[in-house]
Amino acid sequence: MPRKIVQPEDGLIVAQNLTKQFGDRVILDNISLAVEKGKTTVIIGPSGCGKTVFMKHLIVLERPTEGSVYFKGKRIDDKEERHLAHIRTQFGFCFQMGALFDSLTVYENIIFPVEQHYKVTDYKALADMVKQKLAMVGMDGFQNYYPASLSGGQKKRVSLARAIALNPEVILYDEPTTGLDPITSDVINELVIKLKRELAVTSIVVTHDMNSAYKIADRIIMFHQGRIIADGNADEIRNHPHDVVQQFIHGRVGEAELAALRLGGTKFETQFLPEDFE
Amino acid sequence: MIETLGQKTIDSVVNLGNFSRFTAKTYGAMAQTLFKPRTYPLIWAQMYTIGVQSVPVVMATGAFVGMILAIQAYGQLASMGLEERLGVLINIAVVKELGPVLAAVMLAGRVGGALTAELGTMNVTEQIAAVQSMGTNPIRYLVAPRVLACLLLTPFLIIYADLLGILGGYVISVVQLKINAGAYWNYSAIGVEMWDICTGILKGFFFGGAIALISCYKGFNCREGAQGVGEACTEAFVGCFISILALNYIFAVVLDAVYKTFWPVRSLL
Repeated sequence: MPRKIVQPEDGLIVAQNLTKQFGDRVILDNISLAVEKGKTTVIIGPSGCGKTVFMKHLIVLERPTEGSVYFKGKRIDDKEERHLAHIRTQFGFCFQMGALFDSLTVYENIIFPVEQHYKVTDYKALADMVKQKLAMVGMDGFQNYYPASLSGGQKKRVSLARAIALNPEVILYDEPTTGLDPITSDVINELVIKLKRELAVTSIVVTHDMNSAYKIADRIIMFHQGRIIADGNADEIRNHPHDVVQQFIHGRVGEAELAALRLGGTKFETQFLPEDFE
Repeated sequence: MIETLGQKTIDSVVNLGNFSRFTAKTYGAMAQTLFKPRTYPLIWAQMYTIGVQSVPVVMATGAFVGMILAIQAYGQLASMGLEERLGVLINIAVVKELGPVLAAVMLAGRVGGALTAELGTMNVTEQIAAVQSMGTNPIRYLVAPRVLACLLLTPFLIIYADLLGILGGYVISVVQLKINAGAYWNYSAIGVEMWDICTGILKGFFFGGAIALISCYKGFNCREGAQGVGEACTEAFVGCFISILALNYIFAVVLDAVYKTFWPVRSLL
Protein backbone atom coordinates (compact mmCIF):
# COMPACT_ATOMS: atom_id res chain seq x y z
CA MET A 1 0.00 0.00 0.00
CA PRO A 2 1.53 3.40 -0.97
CA ARG A 3 2.60 5.41 2.05
CA LYS A 4 0.64 8.64 2.54
CA ILE A 5 2.32 11.80 3.74
CA VAL A 6 0.33 13.25 6.62
CA GLN A 7 0.60 16.73 8.07
CA PRO A 8 -0.13 17.72 11.69
CA GLU A 9 -3.24 19.65 10.57
CA ASP A 10 -4.75 16.69 8.69
CA GLY A 11 -6.78 15.43 11.64
CA LEU A 12 -7.58 15.81 15.33
CA ILE A 13 -4.85 13.29 16.17
CA VAL A 14 -2.00 12.68 13.80
CA ALA A 15 0.77 10.11 13.96
CA GLN A 16 3.66 10.94 11.66
CA ASN A 17 6.24 8.30 10.70
CA LEU A 18 5.77 6.58 14.05
CA THR A 19 8.26 3.82 14.84
CA LYS A 20 8.49 1.93 18.10
CA GLN A 21 11.11 -0.62 19.02
CA PHE A 22 11.40 -2.69 22.19
CA GLY A 23 15.04 -3.73 22.12
CA ASP A 24 15.63 -5.18 18.66
CA ARG A 25 11.96 -5.93 18.09
CA VAL A 26 10.17 -3.46 15.80
CA ILE A 27 6.56 -3.10 17.01
CA LEU A 28 5.48 -0.14 14.87
CA ASP A 29 7.21 0.49 11.58
CA ASN A 30 6.88 4.02 10.19
CA ILE A 31 3.13 4.46 10.76
CA SER A 32 1.51 7.65 9.47
CA LEU A 33 -2.14 8.19 10.25
CA ALA A 34 -4.55 11.10 10.70
CA VAL A 35 -7.67 10.53 12.81
CA GLU A 36 -10.66 12.64 11.78
CA LYS A 37 -12.67 14.56 14.33
CA GLY A 38 -16.08 13.16 15.26
CA LYS A 39 -15.52 9.84 13.46
CA THR A 40 -15.06 6.33 14.78
CA THR A 41 -11.78 4.86 13.55
CA VAL A 42 -11.34 1.16 14.15
CA ILE A 43 -7.90 -0.43 14.13
CA ILE A 44 -7.93 -4.15 13.43
CA GLY A 45 -5.18 -6.69 13.18
CA PRO A 46 -3.93 -9.96 14.61
CA SER A 47 -2.74 -10.18 18.22
CA GLY A 48 0.73 -8.73 18.70
CA CYS A 49 0.64 -6.52 15.59
CA GLY A 50 1.13 -3.32 17.62
CA LYS A 51 -2.48 -2.01 17.78
CA THR A 52 -2.53 -1.36 21.53
CA VAL A 53 1.01 0.03 21.54
CA PHE A 54 -0.02 2.42 18.78
CA MET A 55 -3.05 3.59 20.74
CA LYS A 56 -0.94 4.16 23.86
CA HIS A 57 1.25 6.49 21.78
CA LEU A 58 -1.76 8.68 21.02
CA ILE A 59 -2.06 9.58 24.72
CA VAL A 60 1.72 9.41 25.29
CA LEU A 61 1.58 6.41 27.62
CA GLU A 62 4.36 5.19 25.33
CA ARG A 63 6.98 7.40 23.67
CA PRO A 64 7.97 6.68 20.04
CA THR A 65 11.46 5.56 19.10
CA GLU A 66 11.11 7.73 16.01
CA GLY A 67 8.36 9.93 14.57
CA SER A 68 5.87 12.18 16.26
CA VAL A 69 2.29 12.46 17.51
CA TYR A 70 0.15 15.60 17.16
CA PHE A 71 -3.08 16.54 18.91
CA LYS A 72 -5.00 19.51 17.51
CA GLY A 73 -1.97 20.35 15.39
CA LYS A 74 0.45 20.50 18.32
CA ARG A 75 3.17 17.97 18.93
CA ILE A 76 2.60 16.06 22.18
CA ASP A 77 4.99 13.08 22.20
CA ASP A 78 7.97 15.22 23.25
CA LYS A 79 6.19 16.97 26.13
CA GLU A 80 7.19 16.38 29.74
CA GLU A 81 4.79 14.43 31.94
CA ARG A 82 3.63 17.51 33.86
CA HIS A 83 2.60 19.23 30.62
CA LEU A 84 0.64 16.19 29.47
CA ALA A 85 -1.92 16.25 32.31
CA HIS A 86 -4.16 18.83 30.62
CA ILE A 87 -3.94 17.06 27.26
CA ARG A 88 -4.82 13.70 28.80
CA THR A 89 -7.98 15.13 30.40
CA GLN A 90 -9.30 15.57 26.84
CA PHE A 91 -9.00 11.82 26.30
CA GLY A 92 -10.89 8.94 27.85
CA PHE A 93 -9.11 5.58 27.79
CA CYS A 94 -11.02 2.31 28.16
CA PHE A 95 -8.51 -0.38 29.04
CA GLN A 96 -8.87 -3.96 27.83
CA MET A 97 -9.51 -5.39 31.30
CA GLY A 98 -11.21 -2.25 32.61
CA ALA A 99 -8.27 -1.23 34.84
CA LEU A 100 -10.71 -0.14 37.55
CA PHE A 101 -9.06 0.66 40.88
CA ASP A 102 -9.96 -2.40 42.90
CA SER A 103 -9.55 -0.67 46.27
CA LEU A 104 -12.21 1.90 45.32
CA THR A 105 -15.95 1.50 44.77
CA VAL A 106 -17.58 2.14 41.39
CA TYR A 107 -18.61 5.61 42.63
CA GLU A 108 -15.08 6.44 43.80
CA ASN A 109 -13.64 5.15 40.52
CA ILE A 110 -15.81 7.51 38.51
CA ILE A 111 -15.18 10.59 40.64
CA PHE A 112 -11.42 9.89 40.63
CA PRO A 113 -10.56 11.97 37.52
CA VAL A 114 -12.93 14.75 38.61
CA GLU A 115 -11.39 15.02 42.08
CA GLN A 116 -7.91 14.96 40.60
CA HIS A 117 -8.50 17.98 38.39
CA TYR A 118 -11.19 20.03 40.14
CA LYS A 119 -11.73 21.23 43.68
CA VAL A 120 -15.07 19.60 44.43
CA THR A 121 -17.35 21.40 46.87
CA ASP A 122 -20.80 20.37 45.63
CA TYR A 123 -20.91 16.64 46.35
CA LYS A 124 -24.62 16.45 45.51
CA ALA A 125 -23.88 17.59 41.95
CA LEU A 126 -21.00 15.13 41.81
CA ALA A 127 -23.29 12.26 42.86
CA ASP A 128 -25.77 13.35 40.16
CA MET A 129 -22.98 13.36 37.59
CA VAL A 130 -21.95 9.82 38.58
CA LYS A 131 -25.57 8.70 38.37
CA GLN A 132 -25.93 10.21 34.91
CA LYS A 133 -22.69 8.69 33.59
CA LEU A 134 -23.58 5.27 35.00
CA ALA A 135 -27.10 5.55 33.54
CA MET A 136 -25.53 6.19 30.11
CA VAL A 137 -23.79 2.83 30.30
CA GLY A 138 -26.73 1.09 32.00
CA MET A 139 -25.01 0.67 35.36
CA ASP A 140 -26.90 3.09 37.63
CA GLY A 141 -27.41 1.53 41.05
CA PHE A 142 -23.96 -0.08 41.16
CA GLN A 143 -22.31 2.94 42.82
CA ASN A 144 -21.36 1.12 46.02
CA TYR A 145 -20.08 -2.08 44.41
CA TYR A 146 -16.40 -2.93 44.32
CA PRO A 147 -14.95 -3.96 40.92
CA ALA A 148 -14.23 -7.48 42.21
CA SER A 149 -17.97 -8.15 42.48
CA LEU A 150 -18.71 -7.09 38.88
CA SER A 151 -18.70 -9.28 35.76
CA GLY A 152 -16.32 -8.64 32.83
CA GLY A 153 -18.94 -6.74 30.82
CA GLN A 154 -20.00 -4.67 33.83
CA LYS A 155 -16.37 -3.72 34.51
CA LYS A 156 -15.98 -2.55 30.91
CA ARG A 157 -19.14 -0.47 31.16
CA VAL A 158 -17.99 1.14 34.42
CA SER A 159 -14.60 1.74 32.82
CA LEU A 160 -16.43 3.51 29.99
CA ALA A 161 -18.38 5.63 32.50
CA ARG A 162 -15.08 6.61 34.14
CA ALA A 163 -13.56 7.42 30.74
CA ILE A 164 -16.39 9.89 29.98
CA ALA A 165 -16.38 11.47 33.46
CA LEU A 166 -14.42 14.51 32.27
CA ASN A 167 -16.47 14.85 29.04
CA PRO A 168 -13.49 14.04 26.80
CA GLU A 169 -13.25 14.91 23.12
CA VAL A 170 -11.65 11.59 22.26
CA ILE A 171 -12.36 8.11 23.62
CA LEU A 172 -9.82 5.35 23.08
CA TYR A 173 -11.14 1.80 23.41
CA ASP A 174 -8.68 -1.07 23.80
CA GLU A 175 -10.40 -4.28 22.69
CA PRO A 176 -13.76 -3.36 24.25
CA THR A 177 -15.51 -6.61 23.30
CA THR A 178 -12.72 -9.13 23.93
CA GLY A 179 -13.72 -11.87 26.36
CA LEU A 180 -17.40 -10.95 26.37
CA ASP A 181 -20.37 -13.02 25.26
CA PRO A 182 -21.97 -11.99 21.91
CA ILE A 183 -24.89 -10.16 23.54
CA THR A 184 -22.73 -8.19 25.97
CA SER A 185 -20.37 -7.43 23.07
CA ASP A 186 -23.27 -5.96 21.14
CA VAL A 187 -24.27 -3.89 24.18
CA ILE A 188 -20.77 -2.42 24.18
CA ASN A 189 -21.01 -1.76 20.41
CA GLU A 190 -24.29 0.07 20.93
CA LEU A 191 -22.67 2.08 23.73
CA VAL A 192 -19.82 3.15 21.46
CA ILE A 193 -22.35 4.28 18.84
CA LYS A 194 -24.50 6.00 21.48
CA LEU A 195 -21.56 7.92 22.94
CA LYS A 196 -20.51 9.06 19.49
CA ARG A 197 -24.07 10.18 18.69
CA GLU A 198 -24.87 11.85 22.02
CA LEU A 199 -21.50 13.31 22.97
CA ALA A 200 -20.10 13.81 19.44
CA VAL A 201 -16.81 12.29 20.52
CA THR A 202 -14.01 11.09 18.29
CA SER A 203 -13.50 7.38 18.93
CA ILE A 204 -10.55 5.14 18.22
CA VAL A 205 -11.24 1.46 18.77
CA VAL A 206 -8.66 -1.31 18.75
CA THR A 207 -10.28 -4.69 18.16
CA HIS A 208 -10.03 -7.99 16.35
CA ASP A 209 -13.78 -8.55 16.48
CA MET A 210 -14.92 -7.99 12.87
CA ASN A 211 -18.65 -7.88 13.71
CA SER A 212 -17.93 -5.06 16.11
CA ALA A 213 -15.66 -3.29 13.60
CA TYR A 214 -18.28 -3.36 10.79
CA LYS A 215 -20.99 -2.14 13.12
CA ILE A 216 -19.25 0.85 14.71
CA ALA A 217 -16.61 1.98 12.23
CA ASP A 218 -16.60 5.00 9.95
CA ARG A 219 -13.13 3.97 8.93
CA ILE A 220 -11.23 0.71 9.41
CA ILE A 221 -7.45 0.45 9.42
CA MET A 222 -5.66 -2.86 9.43
CA PHE A 223 -2.24 -3.32 11.03
CA HIS A 224 0.01 -6.21 10.12
CA GLN A 225 3.54 -6.67 11.45
CA GLY A 226 3.65 -3.07 12.63
CA ARG A 227 2.51 -1.54 9.35
CA ILE A 228 -0.78 -0.32 7.89
CA ILE A 229 -1.85 -2.68 5.13
CA ALA A 230 -5.46 -1.54 4.63
CA ASP A 231 -7.36 1.68 5.19
CA GLY A 232 -10.95 2.38 4.19
CA ASN A 233 -14.62 2.10 5.14
CA ALA A 234 -16.31 -1.22 5.97
CA ASP A 235 -17.11 -2.01 2.31
CA GLU A 236 -13.62 -1.19 1.12
CA ILE A 237 -12.16 -3.49 3.76
CA ARG A 238 -14.61 -6.27 2.87
CA ASN A 239 -13.48 -6.08 -0.76
CA HIS A 240 -9.82 -5.41 -0.10
CA PRO A 241 -7.53 -7.30 -2.48
CA HIS A 242 -4.77 -8.04 0.06
CA ASP A 243 -4.72 -11.75 1.04
CA VAL A 244 -3.84 -11.06 4.69
CA VAL A 245 -6.84 -8.71 4.98
CA GLN A 246 -9.20 -11.29 3.49
CA GLN A 247 -7.82 -14.04 5.74
CA PHE A 248 -8.22 -11.85 8.80
CA ILE A 249 -11.74 -10.58 8.14
CA HIS A 250 -12.97 -14.09 7.29
CA GLY A 251 -11.03 -15.72 10.15
CA ARG A 252 -9.29 -18.08 7.73
CA VAL A 253 -5.96 -19.70 8.48
CA GLY A 254 -3.19 -18.85 5.99
CA GLU A 255 -1.00 -21.18 3.96
CA ALA A 256 2.06 -20.21 6.03
CA GLU A 257 0.33 -21.13 9.31
CA LEU A 258 -0.86 -24.44 7.83
CA ALA A 259 2.68 -25.21 6.72
CA ALA A 260 3.91 -24.50 10.25
CA LEU A 261 1.28 -26.89 11.64
CA ARG A 262 2.34 -29.61 9.21
CA LEU A 263 5.95 -29.22 10.33
CA GLY A 264 4.81 -30.17 13.84
CA GLY A 265 4.62 -33.83 12.76
CA THR A 266 2.11 -36.31 11.46
CA LYS A 267 -1.14 -36.93 13.26
CA PHE A 268 0.15 -40.26 14.57
CA GLU A 269 3.38 -38.78 15.97
CA THR A 270 1.58 -36.10 17.94
CA GLN A 271 -0.70 -38.60 19.72
CA PHE A 272 1.56 -39.16 22.73
CA LEU A 273 0.31 -41.30 25.58
CA PRO A 274 1.25 -40.60 29.21
CA GLU A 275 3.18 -43.90 29.43
CA ASP A 276 5.49 -42.72 26.60
CA PHE A 277 7.13 -40.41 29.15
CA GLU A 278 7.86 -43.09 31.73
CA MET B 1 30.81 -15.48 30.06
CA ILE B 2 32.39 -12.05 29.61
CA GLU B 3 29.36 -11.06 27.54
CA THR B 4 26.99 -12.15 30.33
CA LEU B 5 29.06 -10.34 32.95
CA GLY B 6 29.12 -7.19 30.82
CA GLN B 7 25.37 -7.38 30.22
CA LYS B 8 24.70 -7.82 33.95
CA THR B 9 26.92 -4.82 34.74
CA ILE B 10 25.10 -2.68 32.17
CA ASP B 11 21.72 -3.84 33.52
CA SER B 12 22.79 -2.96 37.08
CA VAL B 13 23.95 0.51 36.07
CA VAL B 14 20.73 1.11 34.10
CA ASN B 15 18.68 -0.12 37.06
CA LEU B 16 20.55 2.16 39.45
CA GLY B 17 20.05 5.11 37.09
CA ASN B 18 16.32 4.37 36.83
CA PHE B 19 16.04 4.04 40.60
CA SER B 20 17.83 7.38 41.07
CA ARG B 21 15.44 9.08 38.65
CA PHE B 22 12.48 7.44 40.39
CA THR B 23 13.80 8.70 43.75
CA ALA B 24 14.31 12.23 42.43
CA LYS B 25 10.78 12.28 40.95
CA THR B 26 9.37 10.95 44.23
CA TYR B 27 11.05 13.64 46.31
CA GLY B 28 9.76 16.29 43.89
CA ALA B 29 6.25 14.84 44.17
CA MET B 30 6.56 14.66 47.98
CA ALA B 31 7.40 18.36 48.15
CA GLN B 32 4.29 19.13 46.06
CA THR B 33 2.16 16.80 48.19
CA LEU B 34 3.19 18.55 51.42
CA PHE B 35 1.88 21.87 50.09
CA LYS B 36 -1.44 20.46 48.89
CA PRO B 37 -3.83 19.82 51.80
CA ARG B 38 -6.16 18.03 49.34
CA THR B 39 -3.71 15.14 49.23
CA TYR B 40 -3.40 14.79 53.01
CA PRO B 41 -6.16 12.14 53.25
CA LEU B 42 -4.00 9.87 51.05
CA ILE B 43 -1.13 10.27 53.52
CA TRP B 44 -3.37 9.63 56.56
CA ALA B 45 -4.66 6.43 54.95
CA GLN B 46 -1.13 5.20 54.28
CA MET B 47 0.01 6.23 57.77
CA TYR B 48 -2.71 4.02 59.21
CA THR B 49 -1.76 1.03 57.05
CA ILE B 50 2.00 1.44 57.25
CA GLY B 51 2.39 2.91 60.73
CA VAL B 52 -0.50 2.09 63.04
CA GLN B 53 -1.02 -1.46 61.85
CA SER B 54 2.71 -2.19 62.22
CA VAL B 55 2.84 -1.22 65.90
CA PRO B 56 2.07 -4.71 67.33
CA VAL B 57 4.69 -6.59 65.29
CA VAL B 58 7.34 -3.94 65.89
CA MET B 59 6.60 -3.96 69.63
CA ALA B 60 6.81 -7.75 69.73
CA THR B 61 10.15 -7.63 67.87
CA GLY B 62 11.55 -5.09 70.34
CA ALA B 63 10.35 -7.02 73.39
CA PHE B 64 11.90 -10.30 72.23
CA VAL B 65 15.20 -8.61 71.41
CA GLY B 66 15.45 -7.18 74.95
CA MET B 67 14.45 -10.48 76.55
CA ILE B 68 16.88 -12.58 74.51
CA LEU B 69 19.76 -10.19 75.17
CA ALA B 70 19.10 -10.48 78.90
CA ILE B 71 19.10 -14.28 78.82
CA GLN B 72 22.21 -14.57 76.61
CA ALA B 73 24.37 -11.93 78.30
CA TYR B 74 23.52 -12.77 81.90
CA GLY B 75 25.69 -15.90 82.06
CA GLN B 76 28.78 -14.11 80.72
CA LEU B 77 28.43 -11.10 82.99
CA ALA B 78 27.49 -13.12 86.09
CA SER B 79 30.64 -15.25 85.75
CA MET B 80 32.65 -12.03 86.15
CA GLY B 81 30.37 -10.65 88.86
CA LEU B 82 29.17 -7.86 86.57
CA GLU B 83 25.52 -8.87 86.28
CA GLU B 84 24.35 -5.44 87.47
CA ARG B 85 25.85 -4.02 84.27
CA LEU B 86 23.39 -6.08 82.25
CA GLY B 87 21.13 -3.00 81.93
CA VAL B 88 23.68 -0.90 80.11
CA LEU B 89 24.53 -3.74 77.73
CA ILE B 90 20.91 -4.45 76.86
CA ASN B 91 19.77 -0.86 76.62
CA ILE B 92 22.64 0.46 74.55
CA ALA B 93 22.38 -2.48 72.15
CA VAL B 94 18.63 -1.98 71.84
CA VAL B 95 18.48 1.81 71.34
CA LYS B 96 21.57 2.09 69.19
CA GLU B 97 21.48 -0.90 66.86
CA LEU B 98 19.10 -3.78 67.42
CA GLY B 99 15.90 -1.78 67.97
CA PRO B 100 16.22 0.36 64.82
CA VAL B 101 17.61 -2.39 62.57
CA LEU B 102 15.23 -5.16 63.57
CA ALA B 103 12.20 -2.84 63.55
CA ALA B 104 13.23 -1.74 60.04
CA VAL B 105 13.69 -5.35 58.91
CA MET B 106 10.26 -6.21 60.29
CA LEU B 107 8.82 -3.23 58.40
CA ALA B 108 10.61 -4.28 55.22
CA GLY B 109 8.84 -7.63 55.44
CA ARG B 110 5.42 -6.35 56.46
CA VAL B 111 5.16 -3.03 54.66
CA GLY B 112 7.70 -3.46 51.86
CA GLY B 113 6.17 -6.73 50.69
CA ALA B 114 2.66 -5.29 50.80
CA LEU B 115 3.66 -2.13 48.90
CA THR B 116 5.41 -4.07 46.14
CA ALA B 117 2.58 -6.58 45.80
CA GLU B 118 -0.09 -3.84 45.72
CA LEU B 119 1.69 -1.58 43.22
CA GLY B 120 2.92 -4.57 41.21
CA THR B 121 -0.62 -5.88 40.83
CA MET B 122 -1.81 -2.39 39.90
CA ASN B 123 0.96 -2.28 37.31
CA VAL B 124 0.15 -5.61 35.65
CA THR B 125 -3.60 -4.87 35.62
CA GLU B 126 -2.89 -1.48 33.97
CA GLN B 127 -4.25 0.50 36.94
CA ILE B 128 -1.08 2.62 37.06
CA ALA B 129 -1.45 3.34 33.32
CA ALA B 130 -5.10 4.23 34.04
CA VAL B 131 -4.02 6.79 36.67
CA GLN B 132 -1.60 8.25 34.14
CA SER B 133 -4.16 8.23 31.31
CA MET B 134 -6.48 10.40 33.42
CA GLY B 135 -3.83 13.11 33.67
CA THR B 136 -2.65 12.27 37.18
CA ASN B 137 0.99 11.71 37.99
CA PRO B 138 1.10 8.14 39.39
CA ILE B 139 4.21 8.94 41.42
CA ARG B 140 2.42 11.84 43.13
CA TYR B 141 -0.78 9.86 43.70
CA LEU B 142 0.61 6.43 44.56
CA VAL B 143 4.24 6.71 45.62
CA ALA B 144 4.62 10.06 47.42
CA PRO B 145 1.98 9.34 50.14
CA ARG B 146 3.44 5.89 50.80
CA VAL B 147 7.03 7.12 51.04
CA LEU B 148 6.01 10.08 53.23
CA ALA B 149 4.04 7.83 55.58
CA CYS B 150 6.87 5.32 55.85
CA LEU B 151 9.55 7.97 56.25
CA LEU B 152 7.68 9.89 58.95
CA LEU B 153 6.44 6.94 60.96
CA THR B 154 9.44 4.60 61.01
CA PRO B 155 11.19 6.71 63.70
CA PHE B 156 8.07 6.43 65.88
CA LEU B 157 7.95 2.70 65.33
CA ILE B 158 11.60 2.53 66.37
CA ILE B 159 10.68 4.36 69.60
CA TYR B 160 8.07 1.65 70.25
CA ALA B 161 10.63 -1.09 69.53
CA ASP B 162 13.16 0.61 71.84
CA LEU B 163 10.64 0.99 74.65
CA LEU B 164 9.55 -2.61 74.49
CA GLY B 165 13.16 -3.78 74.15
CA ILE B 166 14.07 -1.88 77.33
CA LEU B 167 10.98 -3.20 79.10
CA GLY B 168 11.60 -6.80 77.94
CA GLY B 169 15.23 -6.64 79.13
CA TYR B 170 14.13 -5.17 82.45
CA VAL B 171 11.46 -7.81 83.09
CA ILE B 172 13.83 -10.71 82.45
CA SER B 173 16.79 -9.14 84.29
CA VAL B 174 14.97 -7.87 87.37
CA VAL B 175 11.97 -10.16 87.71
CA GLN B 176 13.39 -13.46 86.47
CA LEU B 177 17.16 -13.11 87.07
CA LYS B 178 16.71 -11.10 90.32
CA ILE B 179 19.17 -8.30 89.50
CA ASN B 180 18.87 -5.24 91.77
CA ALA B 181 16.55 -2.79 89.97
CA GLY B 182 18.26 0.36 91.27
CA ALA B 183 21.70 -0.77 90.11
CA TYR B 184 20.24 -1.94 86.78
CA TRP B 185 18.82 1.51 86.00
CA ASN B 186 21.79 3.44 87.44
CA TYR B 187 24.30 1.71 85.20
CA SER B 188 21.90 2.10 82.26
CA ALA B 189 21.56 5.85 82.88
CA ILE B 190 25.34 6.26 83.00
CA GLY B 191 25.99 4.16 79.91
CA VAL B 192 23.19 5.22 77.59
CA GLU B 193 23.40 8.80 76.41
CA MET B 194 20.80 10.95 74.70
CA TRP B 195 23.07 10.82 71.64
CA ASP B 196 22.63 7.03 71.39
CA ILE B 197 18.85 7.27 71.55
CA CYS B 198 18.65 10.13 69.04
CA THR B 199 20.94 8.49 66.48
CA GLY B 200 18.88 5.30 66.69
CA ILE B 201 15.71 7.26 65.98
CA LEU B 202 17.39 9.35 63.27
CA LYS B 203 18.21 6.16 61.38
CA GLY B 204 14.47 5.54 61.17
CA PHE B 205 13.97 8.34 58.63
CA PHE B 206 16.53 6.81 56.30
CA PHE B 207 15.44 3.20 56.82
CA GLY B 208 11.79 4.16 56.28
CA GLY B 209 12.60 6.14 53.14
CA ALA B 210 14.72 3.30 51.73
CA ILE B 211 12.05 0.65 52.44
CA ALA B 212 9.25 2.62 50.77
CA LEU B 213 11.30 3.79 47.79
CA ILE B 214 12.74 0.37 46.96
CA SER B 215 9.38 -1.37 47.42
CA CYS B 216 7.47 1.16 45.31
CA TYR B 217 10.16 1.11 42.61
CA LYS B 218 10.02 -2.68 42.39
CA GLY B 219 6.22 -2.57 42.26
CA PHE B 220 6.25 0.01 39.46
CA ASN B 221 8.73 -2.00 37.41
CA CYS B 222 7.57 -5.55 37.99
CA ARG B 223 7.16 -7.97 35.11
CA GLU B 224 3.84 -9.30 33.85
CA GLY B 225 1.94 -12.06 35.61
CA ALA B 226 1.78 -13.63 39.05
CA GLN B 227 5.40 -14.75 38.80
CA GLY B 228 6.49 -11.20 37.98
CA VAL B 229 4.76 -9.82 41.09
CA GLY B 230 6.24 -12.61 43.24
CA GLU B 231 9.75 -11.95 41.93
CA ALA B 232 9.33 -8.21 42.51
CA CYS B 233 8.31 -8.84 46.15
CA THR B 234 11.35 -11.04 46.73
CA GLU B 235 13.69 -8.54 45.07
CA ALA B 236 12.13 -5.70 47.08
CA PHE B 237 12.62 -7.47 50.41
CA VAL B 238 16.21 -8.47 49.63
CA GLY B 239 16.93 -4.94 48.38
CA CYS B 240 15.40 -3.37 51.51
CA PHE B 241 17.28 -5.73 53.84
CA ILE B 242 20.67 -5.11 52.20
CA SER B 243 20.00 -1.35 52.13
CA ILE B 244 19.12 -1.30 55.82
CA LEU B 245 22.36 -3.10 56.70
CA ALA B 246 24.45 -0.92 54.36
CA LEU B 247 22.83 2.30 55.63
CA ASN B 248 23.40 1.12 59.20
CA TYR B 249 27.08 0.60 58.47
CA ILE B 250 27.37 4.07 56.90
CA PHE B 251 25.63 5.54 59.94
CA ALA B 252 27.99 3.73 62.30
CA VAL B 253 31.03 5.22 60.53
CA VAL B 254 29.64 8.73 60.06
CA LEU B 255 28.03 9.09 63.48
CA ASP B 256 31.13 7.76 65.20
CA ALA B 257 33.22 10.41 63.44
CA VAL B 258 30.70 13.11 64.36
CA TYR B 259 30.62 11.94 67.99
CA LYS B 260 34.41 11.97 68.27
CA THR B 261 34.61 15.43 66.71
CA PHE B 262 32.15 16.92 69.17
CA TRP B 263 33.29 14.89 72.21
CA PRO B 264 35.54 17.67 73.63
CA VAL B 265 32.76 20.28 73.42
CA ARG B 266 30.02 17.93 74.57
CA SER B 267 29.38 19.77 77.82
CA LEU B 268 28.88 23.04 75.91
CA LEU B 269 26.25 21.44 73.68
